Amino acid sequence: MAAPLTLVLILSVTIRAVLFRSSLAELISERVEVVSPLNAWKRVVEGLALLDLGVSPYSGDVFHETPLVIYLFHFVVDYAEIVFMVSTFEFSGKYNLFIKQKYALEADRYPHDCLELMRSPKEMHYIPLKVAMFYLLNPFTILSCVAKSTCGLNNAVMALFILSTLKGSALLSAIFLALATYQSIYPLTLFAPGLLFLLQRLYIPVNPCRSRFWFFTVQYSVMFIGSLLVIVCLSFFLLGSWDFIPSVYGFILSVPDLTPNIGLFWYFFAEMFEHFRFFFICVFQINVFFYTIPLSVKLKEHPVFLIFMQIAIISIFKSYPTVGDIALYMAFLPVWSHLYRFLRNIFLVSCVLLACTALFPVLWHLWIYAGSANSNFYYAITLLFNVGQILLVSDYFYAYLRREHHLSQGLYLRRKDGSEATLVLK
Amino acid sequence: MAKFLFVTICTVANLFAFLPVIHGNNFETKATQFFSSGHTNNWAVLVCTSRFWFNYRHVANVLSVYRSVKRLGIPDSHIVLMLADDMACNHRNPKPATVFSHKNMELNVYGDDVEVDYRGYEVTVENFLRVLTGRLPPSTPRSKRLLSDDRSNILIYLTGHGGNGFLKFQDSEEISNVELADAFEQMWQKRRYNELLFIIDTCQGASMYERFYSPNIMALASSQVGEDSLSHQPDLAIGVHLMDRYTFYLLEFLEDIHPASQANMNDLFKVCPKSQCVSTPGHRTDLFLRDPGSVLITDFFGSVRKVEITREAINLTNPTELPQDLTSLRNELKSEALFYVDQLPVADIIHQKPKQKDWHPPDGFILGLWSLILLVFFKTYGIKHLKHIF
Repeated sequence: MAAPLTLVLILSVTIRAVLFRSSLAELISERVEVVSPLNAWKRVVEGLALLDLGVSPYSGDVFHETPLVIYLFHFVVDYAEIVFMVSTFEFSGKYNLFIKQKYALEADRYPHDCLELMRSPKEMHYIPLKVAMFYLLNPFTILSCVAKSTCGLNNAVMALFILSTLKGSALLSAIFLALATYQSIYPLTLFAPGLLFLLQRLYIPVNPCRSRFWFFTVQYSVMFIGSLLVIVCLSFFLLGSWDFIPSVYGFILSVPDLTPNIGLFWYFFAEMFEHFRFFFICVFQINVFFYTIPLSVKLKEHPVFLIFMQIAIISIFKSYPTVGDIALYMAFLPVWSHLYRFLRNIFLVSCVLLACTALFPVLWHLWIYAGSANSNFYYAITLLFNVGQILLVSDYFYAYLRREHHLSQGLYLRRKDGSEATLVLK
Repeated sequence: MAKFLFVTICTVANLFAFLPVIHGNNFETKATQFFSSGHTNNWAVLVCTSRFWFNYRHVANVLSVYRSVKRLGIPDSHIVLMLADDMACNHRNPKPATVFSHKNMELNVYGDDVEVDYRGYEVTVENFLRVLTGRLPPSTPRSKRLLSDDRSNILIYLTGHGGNGFLKFQDSEEISNVELADAFEQMWQKRRYNELLFIIDTCQGASMYERFYSPNIMALASSQVGEDSLSHQPDLAIGVHLMDRYTFYLLEFLEDIHPASQANMNDLFKVCPKSQCVSTPGHRTDLFLRDPGSVLITDFFGSVRKVEITREAINLTNPTELPQDLTSLRNELKSEALFYVDQLPVADIIHQKPKQKDWHPPDGFILGLWSLILLVFFKTYGIKHLKHIF
């Protein structure tokens, strides 16, 4: 297990090192699909330079990262590449324990004819390696790392959160969740799956009547809010002012910068009348948080899958998505490789995603440089890409639920009179 | 025939009669003129002969010299600036209202106090020669005239595209070195200058000063005949070359000159050697009466008054007493020379880059952060590790 993982690690280090040293690095760090105004490396350097000149880095619309990132980078700004590579690797090292946990929870309680639905230990043995490979060798991750976008750091923090949740440590999980929420607001939605997992692990049933449930919830939320407050106050002490709050959180929530990216916000708000802008900002932002409650209600027995769904929803609907966010939930896909037989649209979805990824730079060139296309072309591809992602996520959701159904009802469905029945999603 | 001869003899005799009046009566004044500058005012004529966006560097050249000359004291009323002036507000300028002269946009030479006298299509050979010779229509305003006299030191700086013996004006006409030499001779005959410094930064620039024949002209050029003057650096943000090499190093040299500087022309000749300029800069001093080592840079680039401070009262009314008083006063003056305090802070005038200090996070923050991290670490992994550390 260690040997193939080391091999994968070495391969990914080589690819990244080669790309860092080549002239492509500058080209990649300029691409709007890979960097956004939130996590561009250029802006981090700019912010640090402003700080050296004695000016607050948040003055003007340059720097939108949190102060802890300033602290992290102010002494490693020349070795940034190494930092990003390290964060990538710690992410990929998270899944060994994760897999064992999952298997342990599923081992019992299923009817006998579902044996083929169950995963054998041998299969599961290779999943951590596959996950590591999916993340490290994913072109999206490589691009994101070479562009030195701080998305890699966000991914690393979320991975740490997942790891600490799976290990059952409520304090660490709350702290990492607070850190992830502090970096960008959207991981707040991961509070629900984290809570559900910890409750499940402690065998506390999710029942509002039980006091144990409330006790634990309150404990966890106090830890989370407390650590969030501590981190925010600490960042106040770093620079001595509160201007990071409008610059970071105000920026994420009110979306003033409409540089095209692979998200859904820019085109819409570029042509929005001022009168309706606030209303639509609220609509779009609520859209991200809205799916948490229905999904947690449906998936309260399966918090790990809920984490995956939430991360996917965040990456699709956040205000400034980049390919690094997509790489995060795509790394999870091998964990659910057993759902493959229930996936309906996988070929279509993968074709759509590949085609859109290829078309992004083409239509950008046609729009910006050649002048023969316009923003509609690029937005069409953005829309299609997001639709593809949504299809992917909903496909996996369907497959998961179907598997659960089969696990409880048996694989070959029979009607009451014994004839064969097919399952149809209405 | 005899009448004609008589007239010529009379005029020659008159000329000989008037010569002493024109050039001074005795040997002493001539000698003092020899060894000190003897100018009372400074003028500058700065010309950029190109237009269009890709000739950005010529405009930046002239504006850099303009800036240095203004900084060292020559006022706008004594500077005739001729530019096409189509750079700062050009559609292709990514930073409107600026003209930069250093890479990374360090120096904006088009500040908010640039006075261009001849702009756009007014920069023609005819206008340039009319400015030099003073033969302008009566309606020309004062700002467009070179109102120099025989005690003026004039700096003439030309830049643009040139060739062997000519300089191209605005892509449509040329001025030849013969015309230029004749214009300077007209200036000399009308006593429109005391001394003239001519600097040219074009390709094959030395050809432009080959034909000068009037006295008291010193000339510098950025390249010899057959060589091209090269530009210095392109700026990727602006997209064009920002300055020519010779003027770039000239500007660097001038940034260290302040009004009290004693740098002389020999230092100016050393600006931009072949290793930096790629072309060979040339100069011509045979027409100049003084030794270049005694000529201060500020004689041409600045407007420095020669002031002697005295506390004594000098009686100028009685002419017979004059020589005695003068000699006694001179002795006293030599014993204690008084100077004004530097009117301008020299340190500010001399180009100085501020030292960059790196930002460090406050100690309280570092302490707080790391103690929190340690706390969390020990809480998660048990207190037993604490024993091993202490």
